[in-house]
Amino acid sequence: MDFPKLKRSISATITHFILIIVSLSCVFPVFWMVSSSLKTQEEVFSKMSLLPSTWNWSNYVTAFVKADFGQYFLNSVFYTVVGVFFVIFISTLAAYAFARLEFFGKSFFFYLLIATLLIPIPGVFVPLFLLLKNLSLLDTRTGLLLCYISNGLAFAIFLLKGFFDELPKEVEEAALIDGCSRFGIYYRIALPLAKPAIATLVIMNALTIWNEFLLALVVLQDKAKMPIQRGLMVFQGTFVTDYPLLMAGLTIATIPIVIVYLYMQKHIIKGIAAGALKG
Amino acid sequence: MLRAVLCLFAVSALFFSSCSKEAVELDVDVMVWHWMTDRQDAFEKLAKDYFTKTGVKVIFETYAPSDVYKNKISAAATANLLPEIFNPMANKKEIASYINAGFVADITDDMNKDNWKDVFFQRALENLSFEENNEWGVKSGIYGVPIDVSSMLIYYNKDLFRQAGLDPEITPKTWGEFVAFAKKLKANDIQPFVSGFGENWIIGAFAQSYQWELFGKEGILSTIDGVIPYTDARWVKIFNLFKELKDNNLLATGVVTMINKDAERGFATGKFAMAFNGSWGVNVYNSMNPNLNYGVFYLPILPEAQHPMRFFGGEGSAFYVNSKSPNKQKAIDFLKWFTSEEQQSFLSKATSNIPANKNASSDLPPILKIFAESIANTFGQLQKIEDWQVVNVLNTSLQSVIIGEKTPQKAAKDVQDEKARQMKNKKATA
Amino acid sequence: MKITNKEKMTNFCFIIPALILFLVFSLYPIVRTFELSVFQWNGVDKNMVFVGFAQYKDILFNNPSFWKSMLNAGYITLLALTIQNGLALLLALLVNQNVKGENIYRTIFFLPPVLSGVVVGLIWKFVFDGNFGILDHFLYGLGFKEFHDYAWLSEIKTAISSVAVVHMWKGFGYGFIILLAGLQTIPVELYEAARVDGANSWQQFKNVTLPLLMPIFTIVSILTILGTMQIFDLIYSMTRGGPAGHTHVPITKIYEYMNNGEFGYSTAMAVVFGVVLLVISYAQIYFSKKFK
Repeated sequence: MDFPKLKRSISATITHFILIIVSLSCVFPVFWMVSSSLKTQEEVFSKMSLLPSTWNWSNYVTAFVKADFGQYFLNSVFYTVVGVFFVIFISTLAAYAFARLEFFGKSFFFYLLIATLLIPIPGVFVPLFLLLKNLSLLDTRTGLLLCYISNGLAFAIFLLKGFFDELPKEVEEAALIDGCSRFGIYYRIALPLAKPAIATLVIMNALTIWNEFLLALVVLQDKAKMPIQRGLMVFQGTFVTDYPLLMAGLTIATIPIVIVYLYMQKHIIKGIAAGALKG
Repeated sequence: MLRAVLCLFAVSALFFSSCSKEAVELDVDVMVWHWMTDRQDAFEKLAKDYFTKTGVKVIFETYAPSDVYKNKISAAATANLLPEIFNPMANKKEIASYINAGFVADITDDMNKDNWKDVFFQRALENLSFEENNEWGVKSGIYGVPIDVSSMLIYYNKDLFRQAGLDPEITPKTWGEFVAFAKKLKANDIQPFVSGFGENWIIGAFAQSYQWELFGKEGILSTIDGVIPYTDARWVKIFNLFKELKDNNLLATGVVTMINKDAERGFATGKFAMAFNGSWGVNVYNSMNPNLNYGVFYLPILPEAQHPMRFFGGEGSAFYVNSKSPNKQKAIDFLKWFTSEEQQSFLSKATSNIPANKNASSDLPPILKIFAESIANTFGQLQKIEDWQVVNVLNTSLQSVIIGEKTPQKAAKDVQDEKARQMKNKKATA
Repeated sequence: MKITNKEKMTNFCFIIPALILFLVFSLYPIVRTFELSVFQWNGVDKNMVFVGFAQYKDILFNNPSFWKSMLNAGYITLLALTIQNGLALLLALLVNQNVKGENIYRTIFFLPPVLSGVVVGLIWKFVFDGNFGILDHFLYGLGFKEFHDYAWLSEIKTAISSVAVVHMWKGFGYGFIILLAGLQTIPVELYEAARVDGANSWQQFKNVTLPLLMPIFTIVSILTILGTMQIFDLIYSMTRGGPAGHTHVPITKIYEYMNNGEFGYSTAMAVVFGVVLLVISYAQIYFSKKFK
């Protein structure tokens, strides 16, 4: 008997068993969502079957048209791309400074920033709204984006500082002696090293902004500026909820964010190679 | 580095260009914000008709679900950005705040003109009016326009009744009969009774019907004033009704956390035999299961009660007019047209609701007809309301009785304790 | 190396954009919140009634249901800190060791956070339902006859734990990818060096992975605390705080007051809640520093 081999295959089996069980629980709702999106309203309730009896692909077309997704989609892409970009840019700068640089009031400002994570949203809703009004930013994309960006900052800075703290200092010091500017070090050394953390943040912020709708609904008046979540409201009637169309709409709205995740998660892993080469 | 700067530049350019082309001035006369997503198509059709007829452009915009809608309205009110037509979705006390803050127009004069007000079910209009000397200091008059009316009764599944050996054409009249019917259903392995008791207002609506029957209007007003305590035997009796249902296993499993949509789904798919629900259910059940064979009966009465039974209901949905809008009159004129017979008939058919215009309710389907007849027996909104925290404790105590956490006596005492606490608070602030 | 004041000034530039946004869009509204909390106001009325700290006093000494909701959130948080984060760590470690199909697992584990709350609420209600619930079917099939019609969300004994399960299921993906990113930033050389020194995989884990991952794990813990204490959507869609208020959490309470025209009071609640969170997070940071 080859014990080490047996041991390895047993541990591999256990590993896969755990991974598969958890995976199943994660995949099932997606499966259910897509399956329901292809059923008829009646079928969603009467038969608890896993697969639709007839595959109504037309639900997707109806959902797309009824929810005006065409109109909202670009808005959401715009908010997400710009919002995430600025969150990452601003927070990496600040987090790098908090982790590596000396300046006045460093820890005071850090804890002040973190404190924003603690105040629950419902409290600040109305003051924020009045503020936007006073700045004439109500019903503007800028106003909404500024809220999104500042909402994402505290979390991002907090997370990134943790990562920057752990990065080896030696490379940076060498670069400093070579005459590299502080910004150069941040841009050329710190950022590439923190790539996995940045990729993680891109995913999380994209997810938050993509799914946000309460603030958007309150801040914006003009339909032409509304994000994709606005479209999904159409199906959630006060009385009648059109489940197949809702599920089709949700599926459409989920796909872009899954694509973002698929693309960014490669960078989470790539970090290993990059870090190994440079470090 | 250069790439990053360029990239940043490009994104910023996009950012600012998109911001500069703000506010394409829309050519709208009357903007309506509403929450009734499932009626949007019908609303839009009417708005189009109105435009062809008068040249006044009306736009309907949905914000749903209603919690989101309510947020949107209160934020817009804070910033003075309310549309011409809206609904604060609030109780009488909060509506009074909107009126006192000048957000809601007094439409009494328009209602009196051409007998506009006479076309409505009286109860609906009453609920949208304020009486002389109300406790919030609102000038007496009519402030809202009802769009449809509704009431809450008990639906029953005729097929399941037959399965249990009950005659589907005979319905229970008294509480005792109701319990007997339910027991019979239970004995045949059918879950007897469901409702969205997970939503506070629904369990409250059920209890309120019996409150009206046992206390009458004067009794309820004295309760609000603190003269009659919640520990009154009649209140214990109401709690006991729920206990009786629970003790005999007559309530749907998990009813205390069931929201109405889940309860409706259960009834529509034949899981439960009876459901306490509003007239909107007709439309809901139809969309979920068009073949459902069901009827409706009034809430069973308590023989010992001194007062007539009253149902939860009145105006189903209503609109208010923004008094600050320059197009205020256009909005009122539109609503007048909107609630006239022809339009109401159309709306009623398109959305399976009972029109607020009683002249348009002549050719309703039979079930809705029963609901329409019950409107006269709905309890109206009082000019005084119980403190929301007391109502809250009351509703959760009803749930507590169902899950066996509290006895009816204990529940009644808890509500009374909260009442005492609130009365003390009020005295302290006054 | 001595840092000059001029350098300190230029260094400060790094945080200026964050600081400006933060001051205007976060700190200012918070200060305004604090200001609103000393008024009795329903959000619409023209006149706000100044009541000083009376509302705070009422929250602190006269509002047991708010503190009960705090305990509920605390209970879910304790479960999330242990089970959810434990699961996230376990999965991140498993996926990190080059198992077959790791790409697929990585993708799948982030599906719950991506999914809409509407779908999650609906699905899990099907699972916990007492009338045709998936879980009851399963347990019944295993021979637990007493679970034939057990409504998990409606029984005091299980309601809060059931909600906690869904919350953890929805949230472990976040911890998973952050920890995975953390594992990926640990230089491979350290493992190689450890292996050269003859460390087995447990020793490598204990001496390399654990100490280097600890700071990230602390961050994940704090984020879990903050995220879980502020849980709202799931509770609202699954139980609305029921049965009989047993699954209320602070945010559902704050909303309840706000929706009933107690605007000033609810902002005072938000402030009190914020202070509690501040204390908890500070304690967490303090203890994790001590352990380090």
